[in-house]
Amino acid sequence: MHDDLALFAEEPPMAIDIAVPALEMRGIGKRFPGVLALEAVDLTLAPGKVHALMGENGAGKSTLIKILAGVYQSDAGTMRIHGRDVAIKSPRDSLRQGIKVVFQEIALIDEFSVAENIFLEGHPTDRFGTIDWRKIRTDCADLFERIGFAIDPAARTGSLPVSQQQMVEIARALAHQASIVVMDEPTSSLTPKEVKLLFTIIRRLTALGIAVLYVSHKLDEVFEIADTVTVLRDGRHISTRPIGEHTDDSLIQDMIGRRIVDLFPRQRGPAASRVALSVEGLSTRKLHDVSFEARAGEVVGFFGLMGAGRTELAKAIVGYDPIRAGTIMVDGQWMTPHNTAVGVGLGIGLLSEDRKVEGLMGELPVYQNASLASLGRFAAHGFVDAGKERQAVQTYVERFRIKTPSLFQKVKNLSGGNQQKVLLSRWLMLGLKVIVVDEPTRGIDVGAKSEIFGLIDELAGAGLAVVMMTSEMPELLGLSDRVVVLCEGRVTASMSREEATQEKILNAAIGSQGRASHEFRV
Amino acid sequence: MTSITKLLMASVAVLIATSAQAANMPKKIGYVTNYATHEWYQNVIKGMKAHAKELGIDIEVQDANLDIAKQVSAAEDFIAKGVDVLILTPVNEEGVVPLLRRAKAAKIPVVLEGNPVKGMTTLVAICDYDTGYNAGVEAGKYAKDKLGGVAKVMNVGLPLLSATVLRSKGFMDGIHTQIASATLVHDLDGGGNPDRALEVSAAALAKNADINIIYGINDSSALGGLQAWKAAGKSQDGLLTVGTGGEGLAFINAIEKEPSYRIEAAMFPEKEGFTAIDAAVKLFNGEAVPEHIVSPTAPILGDSWKAYYDYDGTTRTIKWAAVNALKPPAKCMQTSADLKK
Amino acid sequence: MTEILRTGASGRTSLASLTGSGQGVLGILLVVLCLGISAAAPQFYSEANIIAILRQCALVLIVASGMTMLVIAAEVDLSVGASLAFVGCISMAVLNATGSLTLGVLAALAFASGVGLVNAIVVTLFRVNSLIGTIGTMMLLQGGVYLFTREAVQNHHQLASFTALGAGYAGPVPIPLILAVAIFAVCAVTLRFTTIGRYLYAVGANERAVRLSGIRSARLKLVAFVVTGLCVGVAGLILASLMNAGQPTAGRGFELTVIAAVILGGTSLSGGSGSLIGTLLGVLVLKVIDNGIIILGWNQDLQMVVPGVVIILATYFDLLRSRHHAR
Repeated sequence: MHDDLALFAEEPPMAIDIAVPALEMRGIGKRFPGVLALEAVDLTLAPGKVHALMGENGAGKSTLIKILAGVYQSDAGTMRIHGRDVAIKSPRDSLRQGIKVVFQEIALIDEFSVAENIFLEGHPTDRFGTIDWRKIRTDCADLFERIGFAIDPAARTGSLPVSQQQMVEIARALAHQASIVVMDEPTSSLTPKEVKLLFTIIRRLTALGIAVLYVSHKLDEVFEIADTVTVLRDGRHISTRPIGEHTDDSLIQDMIGRRIVDLFPRQRGPAASRVALSVEGLSTRKLHDVSFEARAGEVVGFFGLMGAGRTELAKAIVGYDPIRAGTIMVDGQWMTPHNTAVGVGLGIGLLSEDRKVEGLMGELPVYQNASLASLGRFAAHGFVDAGKERQAVQTYVERFRIKTPSLFQKVKNLSGGNQQKVLLSRWLMLGLKVIVVDEPTRGIDVGAKSEIFGLIDELAGAGLAVVMMTSEMPELLGLSDRVVVLCEGRVTASMSREEATQEKILNAAIGSQGRASHEFRV
Repeated sequence: MTSITKLLMASVAVLIATSAQAANMPKKIGYVTNYATHEWYQNVIKGMKAHAKELGIDIEVQDANLDIAKQVSAAEDFIAKGVDVLILTPVNEEGVVPLLRRAKAAKIPVVLEGNPVKGMTTLVAICDYDTGYNAGVEAGKYAKDKLGGVAKVMNVGLPLLSATVLRSKGFMDGIHTQIASATLVHDLDGGGNPDRALEVSAAALAKNADINIIYGINDSSALGGLQAWKAAGKSQDGLLTVGTGGEGLAFINAIEKEPSYRIEAAMFPEKEGFTAIDAAVKLFNGEAVPEHIVSPTAPILGDSWKAYYDYDGTTRTIKWAAVNALKPPAKCMQTSADLKK
Repeated sequence: MTEILRTGASGRTSLASLTGSGQGVLGILLVVLCLGISAAAPQFYSEANIIAILRQCALVLIVASGMTMLVIAAEVDLSVGASLAFVGCISMAVLNATGSLTLGVLAALAFASGVGLVNAIVVTLFRVNSLIGTIGTMMLLQGGVYLFTREAVQNHHQLASFTALGAGYAGPVPIPLILAVAIFAVCAVTLRFTTIGRYLYAVGANERAVRLSGIRSARLKLVAFVVTGLCVGVAGLILASLMNAGQPTAGRGFELTVIAAVILGGTSLSGGSGSLIGTLLGVLVLKVIDNGIIILGWNQDLQMVVPGVVIILATYFDLLRSRHHAR
């Protein structure tokens, strides 16, 4: 057991021939019932380099890394690691081949100490065959010192922040002699400062000759850290190019298959001058003194990193969550906070980011999902006129081209895009003045996305004020008339569509700490 | 008139006999009942308290509420407090065995009420079989007299407990002594509660309503059976309803208002409490007692309930003289041991 | 009308889809049970027995009608059995004291709906899970009834109209059955055709979505709890009338029979789906089994065993069926 822990040797774990690729995947295919998830995908990782894997949701990124991790087995293709043909049939095989995948969901045992977690798969034993706890701790401390981690090996893992847990996962990769480290959206729960630290660590890994596969859909990160980028779309390999050959536009085009302009067909005219929503000094547990206005016919896009307070703002202004201070005016009328009944009465509603949990009634038919908010319209003396109701829903099914075998289909059986259209119909049937859409295209495939964008454009064109919360830069820039940026619960920037650039928006979203992280790029 | 005088005299004699021993009375008796919510035990406690007061004994009652752990700790408290005699209605038979040992070590005599336990000194209990049997004999006589000598019985029973099985068995055996051709048409599990008894009886009567005697192992079961009969739209002419227990007011009410409810196999829970106190006094004085002290039961025919109870519309009061005059058998005709044969 | 509407509407009512539904399975089971039992024991089809079955069904159906609404709204009330006993005692005591049927009935309904209101407050205001909260009220009521009366409350008023509630007939039809059918019909129409009914399904399917749609979900649940309470009030009156006494020991396990019937009828405990027709079939199946075992002269312990098996199998077959349909 001792001998396996060769990372403490001064030399790199094994003799790495930098001329031979660390990993070569050729013609990888994977089919799930009814879906071709991957088709003939190639990927080559060079030792000591960071290779970014990019693509939209559903592009096949996670299927590919799950094949690498041994969670799935590919149906077609070959894999070579350091020039040797290998077959990975289980997570154990994957580890044995020197592959370490750091998933978004951290796979550590909360109740164990950091050191125990690091040596989970291979506890060093003493000559009596019992676990050598002292050695575990000292080895762990040595390891941390070498790679510059300031984490107490004896700390209970569950007590650490997520970012540090992620580092423990990476340290585990080193402890297991990994020569290939895969990171799946590693920054999604990190603060800018932590992102900076992560990038330092990635550079140390590459200096040791380790190949890093960096999975992300964030452009700025990829430009900062990657040497090469591979883009997947709809399960197919689209391009592999050195990062220097890419621009923002070229990368987006590879990812979504068309130019941004084509994805966001703008048909609506200019916004009216009438203010439909006015929020003044809004504060909640997460938000501080947020003020903004949205005019009828206008899309106001809110951007912010994770934890900036987008969803909190959305829920507070529609009356779903309580507020601490501030006023919300809908169409000139004061709205009672924390009361959706009043909110809906005044004409403000939320299209939630979490369709399943806060939007859909999965077991109920399409027509009942669509008519939920406006059911009273179709009732006389408390009795629902089902014919009238279904006809109204039918109009929306046709207008929005909702693909459903019948109005009686359970809504859970529809695709994500069609579910979103049903939920949009719910509000349109009622006739809102202000609609708040939170991550409107989350979990929706690319084709349906542009349809949703079209619908949002149409809504604004019909005179609604649209407040859109998003973490997708293209969506923000493509749809908004005005962009408001949130950072840690405060508005840090507000600009018109014409003024807005990706750089300005990101700077405002990252805040003061973030600017430092940009300077970090060399 | 004369019989009542005799009864009175007899009871006076009993009172004198017991008070003669007053020189050597226990000071304090502890009773741990198993389930004080039940009417039966409420009346047992009532009887104990009445008799203890009469003898100048302090009695304290704890309720185990069907929880053996509670029973053990309550009894241990009594032992620690140093009661002179302990009375127990066991929640379960195995559970109290160690208690008996502990009491013995502390030299505190124990009287059991209701159910026997291995290693006990004495048990005060009624005879379930005899209770049913005597009621059966009376029902047989009634049927010969008023029902044309025909006896077709619906037994609203409770097969779960040996005590209630013995009652039903005794009832049929008793009725057979009078009418050899008596038949058991329905043998039902009424769950011992009124709504279940009603439901089950309704189904049985729908299957075959050719019965003329309803027997219930307790008053709730008998009344459930009778209500099912009434709900089926049948007249009570030519019907006899026999209840068992007589622990509450239900039977008095039924005799008064239901024409068919003519016989109650009364068990006099107050008397059982009374007898338990007597047994406790005897044990305290080191007298020899039988292993099973029988508390008397008797079939009550129609209005004769008034001989045993006063009823003011809200509570009933036992007439001690009449109940104390009842002579219990020395031992039961059949016990649960006979069922296993 | 467009193509989608037509196929949808016809698909709903056609016989083919009925047999493919959970209720179809239950209906077939009921027919098989009735045929089987009457083949072995012809008395099963006697007028007296059918009336006995229907009378027993009435009691369960009344409470199950309210319970179905509650379960559809993703809540449950385990206190109905204990409340049933208490209602009987209270109404009998009020009848004895006042000699007025109206006051007795009002007392019963007020008490039972009050219990429903308390349950609703515990669940919606205190946010206690209804399974736990109503076990709490169940225990409160079971203990409370003994504080109120240790003995059965006897009938001292002898009102003929009260006796008729449980044991009376209108023509050949028992009065409890008429009450049950009326309550069942009101609940069924409410669930199927009114906005309240639709909102109850919606609350059960996704309470957050309902709140976001500006509908006051807590009020809806309150309505369902109070309606269930009122149903218990009616059932308690009938039971007290049938037994000619308020019995504090009555109603033990009644809540389980009611919930078993609702679940057997295909209403999901997770809320959002189910129907009263299903509940009706569930009640009939359970009560026919109960009755059949006595009619056949089988061991009565099977009265617990057989429904247990039926509930497990019915739920399993329903799962198989919906999986098959999903494909």
